[in-house]
Amino acid sequence: MELLPLGFFEWAESSFLGYIGKTYGGIYATLGQSVHLISLAVLGGAVLVSDFRLLGWVLRDVPSEVVAEQAHKWFKIALFTIIASGVFMAAAIAIKLYYNSAYWAKMYALIAGVLFVFLVRRPLLRGDHSQINPWVLKLVAVASILVWVSVAATGRWIGFS
Amino acid sequence: MNELLYQFAEWLYATPWSRAIEESFYLYNWIETTHVLTVMLSLGMLIFIDLRMLGWVMPQVSAVKIAQRLNTAMMIGFVIMFITGILLFYAKPTYTIQSIWFRIKMVLLLGAFVNALLFHKRMMSSAGSWDMEPKAPAHLRLGAALSLGLWAGVVTTGRLIAYDWFHCYRDLPAAMAWAAGCVAD
Repeated sequence: MELLPLGFFEWAESSFLGYIGKTYGGIYATLGQSVHLISLAVLGGAVLVSDFRLLGWVLRDVPSEVVAEQAHKWFKIALFTIIASGVFMAAAIAIKLYYNSAYWAKMYALIAGVLFVFLVRRPLLRGDHSQINPWVLKLVAVASILVWVSVAATGRWIGFS
Repeated sequence: MNELLYQFAEWLYATPWSRAIEESFYLYNWIETTHVLTVMLSLGMLIFIDLRMLGWVMPQVSAVKIAQRLNTAMMIGFVIMFITGILLFYAKPTYTIQSIWFRIKMVLLLGAFVNALLFHKRMMSSAGSWDMEPKAPAHLRLGAALSLGLWAGVVTTGRLIAYDWFHCYRDLPAAMAWAAGCVAD
């Protein structure tokens, strides 16, 4: 099910952003795709460092509260950059994306990821982790890894669909 | 040199597995997806190590400890990334060997590798004196910034391989045709 009507995508493609992305391939590839990928690396680092710590795989001698707090700061920066570069890229090929099932799968995964982080993960991890059942922490970490890997994988498949 | 490289690429192209990978929609695309996904692991860890050296993440935690503790996960990511990268090259060797972006990417990768070796050596030889400082010494911060810049270049040129703006079947200036290794269209 599409989240927005086709008219919105037609408007996006005819907008200034859509025009820039469609007309200048170099800008689309660098400011759009490359920035999107580099931000994905930062987001991946923030998610994985924090989740691997919750799973007890890395930095076991550093309090998980410290790791989660610091990683979240970079997660927010990366998420903002990913969304900004993603909107720029999407505007250039908006009508094509409307009919692309991988694009909608990514949007649903992204919304799920953002809701999970800001409504579940972050409120839970803001407190003292020793007060939380260790299995809950591990479950949150696994869910977090799965949701963000899904966002990245469905994002890549937009280009193949 | 370009002739030799192209002959090697033609030989790879003629092998059955090269054709099998390129012609399989799911196999080729899942290899490419895995290549991109491992960016999250390998470069994700690397970026965190570099950011710590610059004093932008976990400044209260030992810098050497972070570098050492994230090293295994980072190396697992790099191994998967290199294996999938080699498979992607193997699937399209004659196109890729004549891509100027691929060649620039290889130079940047070599630069990033040498920088990482030097960085590690310098970090370990001076670790005791600054390890708990919020920022690493200037020469290590320079190495970390260089690492971030080189990897940003690797990612960018890697993405640009898909674009044929400067490919050999275009009308290229002689110097660019040489740099791209143009032997055949």
